[in-house]
Amino acid sequence: MKTLFKKEINYYLNNPLGYIIVILFAVFINFWVVKDVFVSSVASIKPFFNLLPWFLMIFIPALSMRIFAEEKKVNTIEVLLTLPLNEVTIFLAKFLALFILVCLGLVLTFGLPLFLAFFSHLSLVEVIVGYLGALILSAVFISLSIFLSNKTKNQVVAFLLALIVNFILLVLTTDFLASIMPKIVLDLFNLYSPINHYQNFIKGLVDLRSLFYFLSFFLVFFLLTVIDLKRRK
Amino acid sequence: MIIFSSVSKIFGQKKAVDKISFKTKEGEIIGFVGPNGAGKTTTMRLILGYLKPTAGEILIDNLNPIENRTAVLKKIGYLPENNPLYPEMKVKEYLEFIAEVKKDSQWQNVVENTGLAEVLNQKIEELSRGFKQRVGLAAALIGNPKILVLDEPTSGLDPLEQEKIRDLIKKLAKKKTIIFSTHILSEVEDVANRLIIIHQGKIVYDGKKPKGKGKVEKLFKLKIKNETA
Repeated sequence: MKTLFKKEINYYLNNPLGYIIVILFAVFINFWVVKDVFVSSVASIKPFFNLLPWFLMIFIPALSMRIFAEEKKVNTIEVLLTLPLNEVTIFLAKFLALFILVCLGLVLTFGLPLFLAFFSHLSLVEVIVGYLGALILSAVFISLSIFLSNKTKNQVVAFLLALIVNFILLVLTTDFLASIMPKIVLDLFNLYSPINHYQNFIKGLVDLRSLFYFLSFFLVFFLLTVIDLKRRK
Repeated sequence: MIIFSSVSKIFGQKKAVDKISFKTKEGEIIGFVGPNGAGKTTTMRLILGYLKPTAGEILIDNLNPIENRTAVLKKIGYLPENNPLYPEMKVKEYLEFIAEVKKDSQWQNVVENTGLAEVLNQKIEELSRGFKQRVGLAAALIGNPKILVLDEPTSGLDPLEQEKIRDLIKKLAKKKTIIFSTHILSEVEDVANRLIIIHQGKIVYDGKKPKGKGKVEKLFKLKIKNETA
């Protein structure tokens, strides 16, 4: 796995694309939060964590769209699947490479809590647990994006599919749907919405039910991708 | 040893491979020929477990390539059709990657055998067709596999490069089983000691390569015509 992970991460480190996506993510989210601090005069970390999923919704599909789609297009998938590597190893190596890049993007936002700490008292626990929630949410989005990238040879299609699915997942518990959906449906959406579970982390709470939810979500797409890779025509 | 027992592969309505059976022995160099769409690539992919047979049984050294995938793949070196490579990688990076996956620390010998020493630090996308083919072949050779499956190894190469690849295949043949597919029948005459002709998914000839210049082509045309008639 280490070998394949090295190959995957080197692609992004030796390619301007990886740097461009990570830096754009960091620049945009930092800008968006900082501009609102001066407008609202509220120095809280919560707006950053509330905004983060909407940026990850775009950032993660952009990073992961090529992960299998490009291999299928140029047929290096045949090289990969005819090497003595098992499918679980292939998924995990690719997942880890993308996860490290997302971590790098999040590291580039560490300046924000430091900046906000000058203006108000920030709870360290809230910040740490918030970032933990962001990492876990990212892991889930990555597993979903990898699964969708495996479904197509076209990177743009992979990106758009992942973007649309992420968008639907995020929109499930917003006020927009609350005004048009019956309560029983909304309650169901709340149960399965990643945003709803992520909110616990923003509050500084590590809820085991939310951890279980995210782990299950990750495992579903991990298993679906591995099954797909194992399936032989 | 490769054993195919009445293997068929159907894609939708099309029978790509139709009840083919053959066995291979160590030291055989098998020229696997047939018209376009005959089932050569499909057969090779079945050997690797990249495709699953619709019917029949395949054994590689008594192992099923689907159920014992990684164990089988350690025994086989494969050069796929059209030689897909990672263009952004340097030759050295790519071969190191393959060597680490196949757990071969002696891969530098392969570099010497395939004449890649001068291009090790070049990106694969910058190489000529001939050198790219050599990279693909080198990757297949890493790990010293017992079985080599080469799908059109000289495809798109100039005559000089073709000769170099043929010479390399002959050199490697000792203690290995080599199956290579080709449209160049003179290649089979030059390199192979056994000939399998496949047409419309069926094996129409499996035996010793006929001796004499032009005999392979004569046999090929005869078998294909008979099957078509």
